[in-house]
Amino acid sequence: MSSFLRFRHVDKTFVRPDGTREPVLRDFSLDVSPGELVALVGPSGIGKSTLLHLVAGLERPDAGTVEIESAHPDPRVGMVFQQPRLFDWLDVADNIAVAVKAASADIKRARQMLSAVGLAGHAGAYPLSLSGGQRQRVALARAFAIQPDIVLLDEPFSALDELTARRLRLLLQELWRDQEPSGLLVTHNTLEAAFLADRVVVLAGKPARIERIIDVRDTRPRDAESPLFFDLHREILAMLERGAI
Amino acid sequence: MTLLSERLLARRARRTASRAAVAALLARLAPALLVCALVAAAWQVMAARWASPLVPGLADIGAELKAITLSGDAAVQIGTTLGRIVLGMALAFVAAFAVGLASARNRFARAFFEPALLLGLTVPGLVWALLCVIWFGLSLRTSVVAIAVGVAPALAITIAQGIEAVDPQLVEAAHVFRLSFADRLRYLWLPATLPFLLGGLRLGFSLAWKVVVLVEVFGLSTGVGYALNSAFISQNVAAVIAWTVAFAAVVAVIEYGLFQVVERRLTRWKRRALV
Repeated sequence: MSSFLRFRHVDKTFVRPDGTREPVLRDFSLDVSPGELVALVGPSGIGKSTLLHLVAGLERPDAGTVEIESAHPDPRVGMVFQQPRLFDWLDVADNIAVAVKAASADIKRARQMLSAVGLAGHAGAYPLSLSGGQRQRVALARAFAIQPDIVLLDEPFSALDELTARRLRLLLQELWRDQEPSGLLVTHNTLEAAFLADRVVVLAGKPARIERIIDVRDTRPRDAESPLFFDLHREILAMLERGAI
Repeated sequence: MTLLSERLLARRARRTASRAAVAALLARLAPALLVCALVAAAWQVMAARWASPLVPGLADIGAELKAITLSGDAAVQIGTTLGRIVLGMALAFVAAFAVGLASARNRFARAFFEPALLLGLTVPGLVWALLCVIWFGLSLRTSVVAIAVGVAPALAITIAQGIEAVDPQLVEAAHVFRLSFADRLRYLWLPATLPFLLGGLRLGFSLAWKVVVLVEVFGLSTGVGYALNSAFISQNVAAVIAWTVAFAAVVAVIEYGLFQVVERRLTRWKRRALV
């Protein structure tokens, strides 16, 4: 895949209901290379999710541009949220099919992705009859079924128990290896950031600036138990703790 | 031998099964039937106390009911009225959904439609009935337009509330995955607002019935309203009540046989509370 993502001199200011202006991003620039997953870490409210919303089209930059380079005339953006955000009244297969149809991707992909996330036997199940982990698997399947140029992950595993989260991180890694989209991962879990991402971007300040960029020098598939990730995890955590003081 | 006994057994099993189904239905309807019986009994007591032709007893009402049913008159007139209601409601639903969706999603649309909706809520159905008879004369259009205008404001306000209650997280997800307007309507707005839609349709149905009867009384020569007016002119109180009861019975069949069945089918996905 030759798709990639560029933030160029992006400004974004929120206006609170009482009229006070809160600059979130000022002259923010970042490149995400083809096939690369960039993790965004930093304190709550610093604007990590805003960056995802700008890519997803949920918000517009006040100035600057967000460019997506894609082979399709209309770039395809898949997103996985903290909550599954499925249509509870549609069965699992239809939840995925709706997104596939909207992206005019190959409809066969819906069923293939269902197998890929290990839910082939649950195609006709309604989301509320599934466990939280299974629902998040459906959300992953939906994001990857559209053959995305960009995948946005907004704390995708933070609402799950650690055992389920571990399994889904490995699943995400498989999907990434398979399709190689470009993407952003917002997370508060620094170990997760180190294990999943190719680069970890540490954000700080208000408006947010890039405090540091850490390269994770490891190819996929990765071993979750590798000491490399634990070292990086400690390094990033220490950085965040210093920034918090 | 074996075949015969098997057939007998199967027939008995079928009979038991159908008897069980009838018993289950009766058990489900028992509270509703109980309240009907209580009202009828109270009415009978009142009729006996008054002993006036203006308060006919159950026997007189029953006789009228039997007469209009057996003559086929009830089926024809109620069918005619229901047809007008269905057409008027369909028109009201389309308009109300468009206005409700726009009002809930757009601040300008809300400010634009709000005064009209409030005015529409305030105007009595009688006024619409009169105006439509004057404007459109004795035609199907009269009843359909009067019903639509009479029902649409309440329906639109209910639908707008339903749209506002839709989880914004799902609205965002639909936006991110670029669902077309038609798909959002089909997969998000309609199913997500279903409880409000059914509630609005029930409310609308009761309003529509009141409007259409007025139109029929004033300007049409068919329908339940016309039959009620004929009974009124001949001072036949039993017939007025019989027509009302007959229509109520049809409404009950629609509620239990259609609305509730549709509702159950469309809410299969819901998780019921354990307690």
